[in-house]
Amino acid sequence: MKPVFHMQQLRKKHEGKENQALFANVTAEIADPTVIALLGVSGQGKSTLLRILASLEHADEGDIGLHNISQREMDPRLWRMKVCYVAQQSVMLTGSIEHNLKTVSLLHRIPYEDKLVNHLLPRLGLDHLDLSKSALELSGGEKQRISLLRALLLHPEVLLLDEITASLDRSSKQMVEQVLQEWHQQEGTTMIWVTHDIEQAKQISQTVWFMGEGTLLENCSTEAFFEQPATELARNYVQAPSVSYKEDPCPF
Amino acid sequence: MSILALSFTLLFVMITMLVSVWQKLGLERDIAVGTVRSAVQLLLVGYVLQFIFNTSNPILIALILVLMITIASFNAGKRGAGLKGIVWKIAIAITSTELMMMGLLLGFRIIEATPQYIIPISGMTIGNAMVVSGLFLNQMRREVSASRGEIETLLSLGATARQAIQEVMKRSVKSSMIPTIDGMKTVGLVQLPGMMTGMIVAGANPIEAVRYQILIVFAFTSSAAITSIILSLISYRLWFTKDLRIRLIEEKG
Ligand SMILES: Nc1ncnc2c1ncn2[C@@H]1O[C@H](COP(=O)(O)OP(=O)(O)OP(=O)(O)O)[C@@H](O)[C@H]1O
Ligand SMILES: [Mg+2]
Repeated sequence: MKPVFHMQQLRKKHEGKENQALFANVTAEIADPTVIALLGVSGQGKSTLLRILASLEHADEGDIGLHNISQREMDPRLWRMKVCYVAQQSVMLTGSIEHNLKTVSLLHRIPYEDKLVNHLLPRLGLDHLDLSKSALELSGGEKQRISLLRALLLHPEVLLLDEITASLDRSSKQMVEQVLQEWHQQEGTTMIWVTHDIEQAKQISQTVWFMGEGTLLENCSTEAFFEQPATELARNYVQAPSVSYKEDPCPF
Repeated sequence: MSILALSFTLLFVMITMLVSVWQKLGLERDIAVGTVRSAVQLLLVGYVLQFIFNTSNPILIALILVLMITIASFNAGKRGAGLKGIVWKIAIAITSTELMMMGLLLGFRIIEATPQYIIPISGMTIGNAMVVSGLFLNQMRREVSASRGEIETLLSLGATARQAIQEVMKRSVKSSMIPTIDGMKTVGLVQLPGMMTGMIVAGANPIEAVRYQILIVFAFTSSAAITSIILSLISYRLWFTKDLRIRLIEEKG
């Protein structure tokens, strides 16, 4: 079987510090559609990695592939339609909310899935919105959910989610998690989901990728990662952020 | 105007020099260079024009136009430093504009097909097209970096280069045309345009001078629009890399 997605020996120079790598030797393979939590302290290059995977940024070395077809061999447009990045800072296009949601349909001249939109809006806690309103006036959390929905309408094979629930309250956050989990089950979409929320990572992911020391330090099942992180760094990371954490996270 | 009268105009230069020295502006050198250059350049142009008007050779006229377009393209190209082949693209945009303007003006017999009309009016059209090209490129540079998020959002949804930059292009075309359109609204009220002033001073009837000025104003507006749109259409791809990522162009100087 061909893997859904792979990245091999990715390396990215640090911006400004030319001879220092932001990360190197980032290698991983996704055999079957799955949800991956991408963890790591701030500034490790998680966003940069996702942007590289989405072909918005250029890797200095290494190869990325979808079903064993290299990113380099594919038209960047086709690639981005299959591997879609939802940005950490969501950007609304000038115009109404509806215009934003119709972007995919307008760009690719495909029918607008209004049924799907009407189904998902309330499930994302957005049924109160007047879609003819300007999208630029939305709150940060509303923008994040609209930009997620905008990307879902593309039906990508791989969704790259960059802290998309960072400015959401608890219940909206759970709604987004629910919607994405169902989406994953129904569409078989692979998701690489950057989050700083340990509870969320446990809840949504089957696999954890942990970035540290300038590389992909750990790549294991979510259970294993939280029960028994292999590295000191991951152990500290798992313990540090949530003081209220009850179970003993580390048997060593 | 006699040579003697002309040489008295150096008084104005003296005044500027004195102000510069008095206020310690440190502009004396620039003023001197500017004075000599403008005098020499204009006198030279005067003699060249006189020669061309006398011979009326179409090849010479064409040569002058090519020269004007070349200088204008290099000049406007400075605003697009870092964009590969931008001088050529500007030259294409300006040449198309010039051909279209002259085609219309001569085709409808609005002006006579003599160097006395073709050269000054072309000069003004090309000059305006140059300014508009520069404004457009400057605005594009600013817009592309300010709207990076918007462009990348569209790219990440699978947009083509054209789709991703369409709005940015539209805004830049619009803003490059605004000075020309604003100029159209206040022309004659705030200041008398150079050409009209020149004609009146040289003894032409003001009504006659105004007719030509109206022609120029209208021609400028459409040449601004045409130049800017053509340039945007043939240059938008330069703001992207080969693999369709944004290429941010640093401002130089
Ligand atoms: N295109 C780039 N090339 C190289 N380095 C970059 C690039 N963009 C950002 N950086 C640098 O990489 C570092 C990590 O940035 P990045 O946004 O990827 O981190 P992150 O892991 O997503 O952090 P956070 O959790 O705070 O979002 C920053 O110091 C930044 O200056
Ligand atoms: Mg980030």
